[in-house]
Amino acid sequence: MKETKLGEFEEVLLLLVGILGEEAYSFKVAEEFESQTKREVSIGAVHSTLNRLEEKGFLESEMGQATAERGGRRKRIYTITASGQRALETSRDFRVSLWSQFPAFATGKLNFD
Amino acid sequence: MKKRPHIPPPLAERLLQRVLRSDLAEEVLGDLEEKFYATVEQKSVWRAKLNYWYQVANYLRPFAIRKSRLKNSNYTAMLQHNLTLTFRNFQKHKSQFLINLAGLSTGLTCVLFIYLWVTDEVSTDHFHKKGDRLYQIMSNHTDASGVSTWKGVPGLLLEEIQATIPEAESTTAFTDPHEYTLSVGDVYFKANGRFASQDFFDVFSYQLAEGNGKTALADKSGILISRSLAQRVFKTTDAIGRQIVWHSWGNTKTVQVAGILEDIPSSSSEKFDFIMSWNYFHDDLVSYKQWNNYYGRIALVLASGTEQDEVAAKIDAILKEKLEGDRVSLFLAKYDDKYLYSEYENGVQAGGRIEYVHLFSMVALFVLLIACINFINLSTAKASHRLKEIGVKKSLGASRQSLMGQYFTESFFLIFLSMMVAFSLVWLFLPQFNSISQKDLMLKPDGQLIVAAIGLVVMVGLLAGSYPALYLSGLKSVEVLKGKLSRKAGEVWSRKALVVVQFSLSIILIVAVVVVYQQMEFVKDKNLGFNRENIIYFEREGKFIENSEAFVNELKTLPGVTGAAVSGFMLGGANSTGGVDWPGKTPEDQLQFWETNVGFGTIEMLGIEMVEGHAFSEKFGADSTGVIFNETAIAAMGIKNPISQTITHYTGDKKIIGVVKDFNMLSLHKTVEPMMFLLEPAKTHFVMARLKSGNEEETIKGIQTLYESFNPGYQFIPLFLDQDYQALYASEERVAILSRYFAGIAILISCLGLFGLSSFMTEKRIKEIGVRKVLGSSVIRVVYLLTADFTKMVLAATVIALPVSYIMARKWLENFAYGIDLTWWHFVFAGLAALLVAWLTVGLQTFRAARINPAKCLRSE
Repeated sequence: MKETKLGEFEEVLLLLVGILGEEAYSFKVAEEFESQTKREVSIGAVHSTLNRLEEKGFLESEMGQATAERGGRRKRIYTITASGQRALETSRDFRVSLWSQFPAFATGKLNFD
Repeated sequence: MKKRPHIPPPLAERLLQRVLRSDLAEEVLGDLEEKFYATVEQKSVWRAKLNYWYQVANYLRPFAIRKSRLKNSNYTAMLQHNLTLTFRNFQKHKSQFLINLAGLSTGLTCVLFIYLWVTDEVSTDHFHKKGDRLYQIMSNHTDASGVSTWKGVPGLLLEEIQATIPEAESTTAFTDPHEYTLSVGDVYFKANGRFASQDFFDVFSYQLAEGNGKTALADKSGILISRSLAQRVFKTTDAIGRQIVWHSWGNTKTVQVAGILEDIPSSSSEKFDFIMSWNYFHDDLVSYKQWNNYYGRIALVLASGTEQDEVAAKIDAILKEKLEGDRVSLFLAKYDDKYLYSEYENGVQAGGRIEYVHLFSMVALFVLLIACINFINLSTAKASHRLKEIGVKKSLGASRQSLMGQYFTESFFLIFLSMMVAFSLVWLFLPQFNSISQKDLMLKPDGQLIVAAIGLVVMVGLLAGSYPALYLSGLKSVEVLKGKLSRKAGEVWSRKALVVVQFSLSIILIVAVVVVYQQMEFVKDKNLGFNRENIIYFEREGKFIENSEAFVNELKTLPGVTGAAVSGFMLGGANSTGGVDWPGKTPEDQLQFWETNVGFGTIEMLGIEMVEGHAFSEKFGADSTGVIFNETAIAAMGIKNPISQTITHYTGDKKIIGVVKDFNMLSLHKTVEPMMFLLEPAKTHFVMARLKSGNEEETIKGIQTLYESFNPGYQFIPLFLDQDYQALYASEERVAILSRYFAGIAILISCLGLFGLSSFMTEKRIKEIGVRKVLGSSVIRVVYLLTADFTKMVLAATVIALPVSYIMARKWLENFAYGIDLTWWHFVFAGLAALLVAWLTVGLQTFRAARINPAKCLRSE
């Protein structure tokens, strides 16, 4: 059975795919990742993770349109599946529940200013 | 499509296409191209290209790369399966595995050592760039005792060759390296040097670090010194222009450093630290420049495409023309063969060190063979352990090939492992090996060594692995599974035959070691006809050239010195002449005499016996016209009643005043040759002294003090005649020691095999032993039963090995004019030794097996 937990990088990529919608292919996801997180990442690393997420069933993909910038090659567009969405929700709920259990956070007594 | 000024690096693109899964190629290449153009716009083309490479490198991930065609194929699966089985087998039969590993790895260690030694020997003198066209001129001298071959040629030949033989591209004359005394200021030191003519560096490929070789050697007061000598003397290699004074035999010469030599490579057979001008040597030092004086050495490089024989004939013709008669002829010897093929017999090439190369290569082969036989015997003998496995595999449809594959995997793996162990052993023991063999070998991972190692693994793998593989895979599955495998007689026989071969080889090696050892002891203790014990000698130089007499007289009075004299005596002989005429000599009578200059008392001090007449002595006045011959010389000249007869020496008429008993001045490889003593104290090169045995060290210190007071500045370096004598046999001695080790290892490996085999046999027959004991057999009977087989094998091996080893020992001893006689006990000893070792190996196990309680081994049935 495939591992169905989400790692940090996986979670971010999954969210980015959701954000990019029709434009969610490896290069764009990598660009978006770099601009949002200010962290360097290679397309290969992103592609390999997207591939793994697809194997886990959180993503689906199909070949999209060819464009001229890519030398007339088609791109693989990823979309989030229902189980991918569920995994994201579970992950978020889990964190929220952790946050709420932390008294200092929950009551807003923690002051970072 | 827009025309684009830049494209992604094509090489990276191709690389990606090569390794990428084909279904991913389109999207990945597309993504990367998009990224490339984005980077071009944002940053620069160069950065974009770099980034493209980075991206490509990052696609080398398991998910993206193409699955190799071999993966998941039957081949890899079988290979994995075979390896697993191999490991399990090793684990299950640990003792067999360890015996095999120990045997093969020691065998391979031997082979690797010998390989290193042989490659080093063979590569000696092969560094000269023009080596394929480089020859040295040699001379054959014919006299009544046959033809002798020398390196010496007349120095006058150089100019003649340069003037008249255009085929000689470059020619150089030189002398052999010799230890000379040099001084810088007040500091005296000794160094090996030679003289050489201008073209020396065109002919030989010794490297010059600084200076011009041609001009340096043309200048009579120029000297080239090696980097290490410069460092030693001047403490810097920046020594050009510095002055050195050269001393030899009453001559001194002030020379300027004109160049720095790179240190002579260790693969050169001749080692020297300085070169001086041949012109100086030839013009100022050689007083007797004639065509019958063979004081020079000449080497030349032939122009490409010229015939060696033609040029040799031309050179020979020059000498024949200048010198009446054809007593001497010249020929060309390949320079890089000189080291290995140095011996000449009657003018014909007769081997040399190459014989040791052959000898050791053969030993390597023997040892390897013995180790392989162990492996073969143990694996076929233990086949019964694996019968079920083979049966099941075969009935499930395994082909013969796949079974063979399995056994080959096993043997190759084992041999590979042994090779690794062998390399570590070689690495570990190389310093010891170097000190025995007097070499500077190193274990460098060069291509040749790696190829040799792989070749060795393959060869041994095929040799040792093929028989078990063929035999085991050929068994019939039905019979095997029914347990009805009847051992064919032939198979047991072949195993026995292999053991016999193994022990024959070991016995041959034992005989060789015994004979070599005996001969070396014989040589060491041989009475040479003079007493070489406790004699020290040192060069006459500096003040001693004029006044050694006072020093010798003082020396005689020192406590601990029993005698002293000046002497030109040298082991191995120094000068040789054909210039002697005697009454009754015919033109055909040509004799070469060794000529030794001595002073008063030298002959007595050396302990040489007089047969007739008297030795040189003050009592009879200065017999400078007297001569003393040895018995061989008198017999060769055919003179009756020699005393008081007159002969004509090339320096004038001489009266025979005495005859000495024959003694061995040359090595024992040669018989005694004609020789004579002349009273020429002024021409002797050494001062010799005999010491009282006991406290030599103190006496030598006393001599040193005396020496330094007489000859300040010069270095006192005493040499020992006995050590010189042993040095004559140094190469034999080294070979003797090495062969002892290798023979020991061969026997060890044989015994390992026998041990494995006998333990297997006793294990198999343990039930039989039980039954026999129940029926009343005694321990001795059982031991006899078990050892009889092995005894027979060893005896058969003895019978086979003895004639072979006899012939080999005879051949080796022929190299010595004075050899030991081969006696029967050499061979009986070898046979008995092998038998004893075999019994010891087998005996312990059989004895243990014979004492077993029958109840224990019979209880399971």
